[in-house]
Amino acid sequence: MPTMKTENLHPTLPRDEAATPKPQACDLSISEFSQILLQASALLMESGAHCERIHRNIQRLASKSPFLVEMFISFNAISVSLSDKSNAQVVHTATKAIKHHGIHFGVVTNASVLTWKFHDDEISFDELQTQLKALKDTKRHPVWMVRLFIGIACACLCVLVGGNWIDSACTFVASVVGLTVKQEMTKRGFNLMVVFMAASIVTTLIAGLDVLYGLGSFPGSSVATAVLYLIPGVPLINSIIDLLKGYMSIGIARGTFAGFILLCIAVGMFVGISVVGLKNF
Amino acid sequence: MAAQVCADVFFSFFVAVGFALLFETPLKALIVAGVLGGLGHGIRCLMLQLGFDLVLSTLCGTVFIGLAGIFFAHKIHTPPVVFTLPACITMIPGLFAYRTILGCIKIYGAGVDGDASKHLQETMYNFILTSSLLFCLAIGISIAALAFRKKSVKEIKHVKDLRLN
Repeated sequence: MPTMKTENLHPTLPRDEAATPKPQACDLSISEFSQILLQASALLMESGAHCERIHRNIQRLASKSPFLVEMFISFNAISVSLSDKSNAQVVHTATKAIKHHGIHFGVVTNASVLTWKFHDDEISFDELQTQLKALKDTKRHPVWMVRLFIGIACACLCVLVGGNWIDSACTFVASVVGLTVKQEMTKRGFNLMVVFMAASIVTTLIAGLDVLYGLGSFPGSSVATAVLYLIPGVPLINSIIDLLKGYMSIGIARGTFAGFILLCIAVGMFVGISVVGLKNF
Repeated sequence: MAAQVCADVFFSFFVAVGFALLFETPLKALIVAGVLGGLGHGIRCLMLQLGFDLVLSTLCGTVFIGLAGIFFAHKIHTPPVVFTLPACITMIPGLFAYRTILGCIKIYGAGVDGDASKHLQETMYNFILTSSLLFCLAIGISIAALAFRKKSVKEIKHVKDLRLN
């Protein structure tokens, strides 16, 4: 069994030496590099990147290494297979589970910038490792700001659909309270589908008050637009992008995931509408 | 008509910014997302006013967002999907999805003895419209990869890079 394990941490090279092509390649162990690739790809997957983007980022990293990289992406795990370009006997396969399917476009942006930097020899392998670790803790926007602006966004959607100011005020309150319920329940570790259902019920009940008392000019609009912050837009659109690019299995998986979330929202709305009374719609 | 389109652009700007915040888009891309969302929705509103079809107008709006995204991706060094996705969310067919759900409840309420055929037709129409509009959004976002033969938007810097001939 040939082993590739050599001294893995090379001393930090001066700038001009680091800029020469493939200086760090020879002292790079195959299992270490596979862990780097898995870390990057799982992070991208958990931040809501589509498969083509993950694939491109990984191949960008791999182009600076002495290995050929093939990868398989599924909904629950990512697996990479590396083989040495100079010695076909050296093969290594590793798999990493994907824990959740969140959305964080800041990570997607920074990962893309990071892989381009590595590709253009601006940073060394060590710097890549440390920056990849830091990528996990990319700052999020303050929670109050997200809630406030989602309220404003849903209120604006209500106006676009044809509601008046009273309708949009009801939408604002309903979506802010609903988003708070969703975020707090997610933090406490409830099942994702239960979270969506509960948030949808709360939102529909509050927006349903508009319908019940006939406050605005087009009361149906507030119920229709207040739940829109729950719509799984990223999985839905990623699903279709993956299908267009030929990643069939994951496209179908993402579509099913999004469809199931939509079903949960629909069930929540059904409960809410039934409590308020269908006759009012 | 101009006043209506302007109001449309104004309101959809805030919709795009709100959803961009929800998706944790970096701050430098927030304004771009808002501007693209506003302009795309404005184009859709204008075409609807001129009497075009809803699906066609939505497609034009999203394709505009996708193409403008290539330009802005170079300006702010950000992958285009980060701001084109929130921008396209402004055109998400919420009202039609809502009507589909309401229609399903009505079909259930009517039972088998009553006359549910009108509800059935209405619900099916709303469902088809919802899915077509969603498909339009996805086409708009991935237009750069679909229409041009480059894998990464970073390689498209000048018009000659498109290799149209």
